[in-house]
Amino acid sequence: MTELIVLAFQAVVAHRLRTFLSMIGIAIGVTSVVLLTSIGEGTRLYIVNQFSQFGTNLLAIAPGKAETLGIPGALGGTTHKLTIDDAEAIAKLPRVEATMPICFGTARVEAGNRGRSVFVYGVTPSAPIIWQWGVRVGSYWPSSDPRRRASMAVLGPKLKNELFDDQNPLGKFVRIGGTRFRVVGLMEPKGQLLGFDLDDSAYIPVASALKIFNTDEVNEIDVLFSHSSMVDTVIADIRSLLTERHRGKEDFTITSQAAMLDVFGNVMQVITASVSAIAAISLLVGAIGILTMMWISVGERTHEIGLIRSLGATRRQVQWLFLTEAAIISTLGGLAGLAFGLAVCALLRQAIPGLPIQTPTVYAVAAVVFSLATGIISGVAPANRAAALEPVTALRAE
Amino acid sequence: MTPMSLLKYSLASLSGNRLRTGLSLVGVMIGVAAVLVLTALGEGARRYVTDQFSSLGTNLLVVLPGKTETSGLVGFGGIPNDLTLLDAQAVARGTRAAERVAPLSMGTEEIEYRARRRQVAIIGTTAEYQPARQLVVEKGEFLPAGDWTRGSPVVVLGQKAAAELFGAESPVGKVIRVGEWRIRVIGVLARQGVKMGLDFDDIAIIPVATGMQMFNRSSLFRILVQTYAHADLEEAKKTVRSILTERHEEEDITVITQDAVLATFSSILRVLTLALAAIAAVSLSVAGIGIMNVMLVSVSERTREIGLLKALGVARGQILAVFLAEAGLISTIGGLLGLSLGWALVQILLQVFPALPARSPTWAVVAAFVTSVAVGLVFGILPARRATKLDPIEALSRR
Repeated sequence: MTELIVLAFQAVVAHRLRTFLSMIGIAIGVTSVVLLTSIGEGTRLYIVNQFSQFGTNLLAIAPGKAETLGIPGALGGTTHKLTIDDAEAIAKLPRVEATMPICFGTARVEAGNRGRSVFVYGVTPSAPIIWQWGVRVGSYWPSSDPRRRASMAVLGPKLKNELFDDQNPLGKFVRIGGTRFRVVGLMEPKGQLLGFDLDDSAYIPVASALKIFNTDEVNEIDVLFSHSSMVDTVIADIRSLLTERHRGKEDFTITSQAAMLDVFGNVMQVITASVSAIAAISLLVGAIGILTMMWISVGERTHEIGLIRSLGATRRQVQWLFLTEAAIISTLGGLAGLAFGLAVCALLRQAIPGLPIQTPTVYAVAAVVFSLATGIISGVAPANRAAALEPVTALRAE
Repeated sequence: MTPMSLLKYSLASLSGNRLRTGLSLVGVMIGVAAVLVLTALGEGARRYVTDQFSSLGTNLLVVLPGKTETSGLVGFGGIPNDLTLLDAQAVARGTRAAERVAPLSMGTEEIEYRARRRQVAIIGTTAEYQPARQLVVEKGEFLPAGDWTRGSPVVVLGQKAAAELFGAESPVGKVIRVGEWRIRVIGVLARQGVKMGLDFDDIAIIPVATGMQMFNRSSLFRILVQTYAHADLEEAKKTVRSILTERHEEEDITVITQDAVLATFSSILRVLTLALAAIAAVSLSVAGIGIMNVMLVSVSERTREIGLLKALGVARGQILAVFLAEAGLISTIGGLLGLSLGWALVQILLQVFPALPARSPTWAVVAAFVTSVAVGLVFGILPARRATKLDPIEALSRR
């Protein structure tokens, strides 16, 4: 076995330039696969993190059933409303830790002579627990009946900077949709979620938001529950409770954070896999290159093959010799490609720190195994050709 | 040597080694075909989206309630000032460039006829919506023109909604239940298909005032403004914005042109297509390395032949030309084969997915072919130069 590898290595080294070129062919293919899967996987993890930063034991209930319109509730009215009462009823269910009715919309937030049109969220003081997102300075308004209005607001850090620069905004007043609110808190920076900049928003009591937006229904109810394994039971409980409350009609949609994550993860994986498949076309072309070179090599070494056969080597041994040679070329190429791909990933991460790049181990291993397999497959035909040679005829050949 | 005899010479030596020539051809062929198929897919997707947009009507402005300075997403959630029917009427009166204005309210509701029920999207609008969105009525008629603020209990059903509710029965003139309302069917739309995520076959269209009452909304969902000509869009956009800003005493609406949205989609898909083509083109460079390898072998095998040529006084330039021509021929023929393979694959694609207008854009065809030829010539340089550098005496003496 060792002898076989040594012999094959000698043949590889003897034709340095051409084996080097064959290796580069495979290496380019592996590099592009590694690079593209890294970007794909990085993006997937980025999105997963974006969602799970709000905790995974989270359910969102939206009005309307998403049968015809993809987004429930987002596109205007439904006849049956989700209300603050619904949220409170759900809060009494077993395994539900907290609920929060949310009413949001766009409004102008003004302070002094500065103003900014942003998203305004009507929430309850449970927001920091439910969203796992704390207050940096100050606090939320004191916990009380969500049906009661209060003229107090918490600002996102970016909105605060736009309105107040470096000044301390606590205790100052802002106008939101024509109503005066006293600033009682500043949120921690959170960043964007699906295009919504959560730092550039204002948070006010849900009842005040209902008044500003002149409506009596909430856009969403967020539910925090215990025991993530019980998610199906919790959803079933909520569904039967709400259906009963809504006169037997299921006119709402429950989305669990975990289910949403699954869908996103699956979509990204399919995209990554198909892009890598396209990159793997290069591997195929590289394999054809190895096949060509091995074929030529058998032709050139007919004499040598005749010699070792007449010295007692079996057909099988000759076959293995050439297979090993092809495998060595492709595996070395694969390893070189992997190393180069990882190096490029590291460089990219240095150059553009924000870019999500993460090499999935499975794909990296798969790329090398795949290149090994590629070599063996492309070596089969030349190896069989070598093994089929008659020693006497082969020896006579020049 | 004339170009003709150069070609003959190269062809002869290529056909002398059929297998390796064939394999090198296949490498280039795969690369070119991959570029063609992938660009055809990308371009198909782009044209599909473009068609979807233009089937929604042209020269359209969309007015959405709400405005943010922070992100592009608007039209979600509530707003302090409603976008009302009066606003829509003011826009219709005050915008000279507007050919027609259609107010829109929207929601989902269950429709019911005898024992059959179905949850559908409800669009509350006016008679102007039909020409603006280019909807075709198959049976009966569309919403009657008249005072927007007067609702009447009539409905126009989408093809699928009508079929699900009525089966073979004729729906026109029948009374159905929409939520808590009893409403008479006055028309059925012809098949429209899914446009921008909304299935126009599974909808019910009612007068806008009825819709706002049904959903208990004081604000419209959108206002559509269609201008006479494409050139009027910018002016109309300004006029609409100033009318509504004056009425609301602040700018709390967003006006987008359908063209702007389309242009964004189109350019995103173009970039994607380009990226896919580039990834596929990497395989062309791998094929080039294969050609280089084969040519190197060829040079070393033909050392004696080269020595002979040199001894006979053939100039270096001509020897270079011989080997370059060989490499170029491999890649050119491979490129041509790749073009035909790619074309065939696209035809199959069109058969399998007739909805996707897949067609390789001309730039991709030209670029793929030019790249394949260039690949052969570039990767042929090294072996060809190696041939010219051989010393004639040594070359001849080698066996």
